[in-house]
Amino acid sequence: MKKGVGILSVLFVLTLLLLPAGPAEAQCQLGVPVIKIGVQGAASGPHADYGRQIEMGATMAIEEINATGGILGCKLEIKFMDDENKAATGVKNARYLVAEWGAHFMVGTDSSGVAMAMGPVLAELKRIHFFTHAATHRLTEELVAGKGIKEIVRVSVPVYQDAIIAALIFKDRPEIKRWATIGADYEYGYVAWSMFKDTLKKYRPDAEFVAAVWAPFLTLDFSPHVSAVMAQKPDAIFATPWAGEAVMLLRQALIQGVFDSQVQAWWQAMGGSVDVLEGIASEVQRDRFKGKLWATARYIHNWPDTPENKAFNERFRKRWVRLPNYSAETTYSSLFIIKAAVEKSRSLETPKVIEGLKGMQINNPGGLRVFRAEDQQFIYNVPAGRPMMDPKYPIPVLGDLKIFAAKDYYRYPPFTPVAATK
Amino acid sequence: MDAIAFQGLIGLSMAMYLWLISAGLTIIFGVLRIINFAHGSLFMMGAYLAFTFYGQLGLPFWLAILLSLLGVGLLGLVMERGFLRRIYGIDEAYQLLLTFGFILILDDAVKIIWGGVFKIPAIPPFLDGAWRVFGRPFPVYNAFVIAVGVAVAVGLWALFEKTWWGRIVRATASDREMANAIGVNVPRVFSGVFVFGSMLAALGGALGTPVRVVAPGIGAAMIIQAFIITVIGGLGNLKGAFVASLIVGILSAYGTLFFPVFELFLIFAIMAVVLLLRPQGLFAR
Repeated sequence: MKKGVGILSVLFVLTLLLLPAGPAEAQCQLGVPVIKIGVQGAASGPHADYGRQIEMGATMAIEEINATGGILGCKLEIKFMDDENKAATGVKNARYLVAEWGAHFMVGTDSSGVAMAMGPVLAELKRIHFFTHAATHRLTEELVAGKGIKEIVRVSVPVYQDAIIAALIFKDRPEIKRWATIGADYEYGYVAWSMFKDTLKKYRPDAEFVAAVWAPFLTLDFSPHVSAVMAQKPDAIFATPWAGEAVMLLRQALIQGVFDSQVQAWWQAMGGSVDVLEGIASEVQRDRFKGKLWATARYIHNWPDTPENKAFNERFRKRWVRLPNYSAETTYSSLFIIKAAVEKSRSLETPKVIEGLKGMQINNPGGLRVFRAEDQQFIYNVPAGRPMMDPKYPIPVLGDLKIFAAKDYYRYPPFTPVAATK
Repeated sequence: MDAIAFQGLIGLSMAMYLWLISAGLTIIFGVLRIINFAHGSLFMMGAYLAFTFYGQLGLPFWLAILLSLLGVGLLGLVMERGFLRRIYGIDEAYQLLLTFGFILILDDAVKIIWGGVFKIPAIPPFLDGAWRVFGRPFPVYNAFVIAVGVAVAVGLWALFEKTWWGRIVRATASDREMANAIGVNVPRVFSGVFVFGSMLAALGGALGTPVRVVAPGIGAAMIIQAFIITVIGGLGNLKGAFVASLIVGILSAYGTLFFPVFELFLIFAIMAVVLLLRPQGLFAR
């Protein structure tokens, strides 16, 4: 009896040892326990939704990638940190994520100021950061094409979207001559206005730039800015404050009668963002903007009208009970870009992954993105339009879409400098 | 000329928000000798509560403001009775740490309760629209804010000069030991003053709810300006706080009109000039 139990026990243990490993222990072909992706965005203040959306996009992406076996058998893990829209915080977080947490790649960041500070640090840390919001052209034109920092990859449309598309749309409005700006008082605001003026002047030598006022982060009230600009009787206004500040600015402009005045158009650069559309919904419903409000974004949920984009929207709404903002789509797509690049290079080493990006064309919810090695940007296009109600969606959408091919508004090397001061 | 006058009026409405938050800060400092770093957070809580009552629960605007004042008053009572009372009379570093701790707690609390996305409700219909002033539309809402600010200034003056409670508060501010000796319940006065100051901050926050966004961190933006005003006006001097608010609010608006490039540091420039000429503030105690 005892001998029988003994043999059975040995057989039992041997069987367990010889059983094939379950799916949880599938081999990671890259020799790491997990692939670590550091994620940063603004998670505080009036811009807090963007960091949140970046986190939501990244989370959903790795959940989907992990569910299909990860990257070359390796699971992904993310760690989100709030960069507070401050350069010092973003840099500090990047150092922590790489040096202490062990990030293989990093994604995100909303602020152009943070991005410009991070650029040189990435070269030092030897880690690629996929920028999914920060828009300054100088990140790619100066730091990549100029200084050769290949650890910078941009996945979202840069300030060409905010500035050049506006010029392309409004050059054909002969009655609009006098432009004023209410600008975000940092890098992004300066370069957007500069680039817009430079581009518009080429088509409309008669354009006049009659006022420029600037509002830093955490401006609580734009009433003085609106009234200062309206004192110059502009025909149109170019506005770059974003997120909650955009909503506040539009509200305060409405009550000062801007949309009932001689102003013919108001370009709210990132007005196509989900949080802004939510915030202005009641005014759009009541047509308070009289059709004068124009906006764009770095992805809009209702374009392109493809099955892939619709499915992405559905999955996102199911997962997060909100529509995907542009920073969510760009971050989500960057995770799949990382997957494609790592699979191609079969390595996590930065120089090899950078090689793996070359020639990449990838289908994302926002459309086809094509990698350009000269400045390491993923090129795609996003339309501009006017916020309006659409019965298919719970919040306003951009309608009356003006679609431009990316080649018609992206800048090309050799890059000429554009002023980055106010 | 019209544009200049108009800009001044806009600046006046901005000044009134500043006045409401610095009034509370000044009164608290004047009586309790506490520098309440969490004052901006009380401003923020006032905005969040007003948003909840008016924007989410649909209560009438005036009622929402009243309830938010009561709510923040209660919060102030808890802060004073439960925490600040323990650090009166000891090193000011503890005031800084404690009130800073409140900032962190309240900032995270609003994110947990209301989420991180900004909030903005509709403008109350009777405050929507604009009046033609100096040839341009001046928002009714901004006029409303000016009216409230002036009413508060007059009310505070009447309260402190003419009422029994006001006299007790002034006595306690001037010499708490003497006040104690003549039978004033100093701890109760302190609580009352802190609650009152908190409610003023809340009023500033609540008033902005339909035209400004409610978001975590709006307190931080206001508190710096509030401190600058209190310093310019003279620490603990209510009249000084009112005048300084007018100066900062109106000059900032003119700065945006004439020198927009210097937006970021205009308020600091004003402070520097005042401190150079009169280091104790415009109306020193």
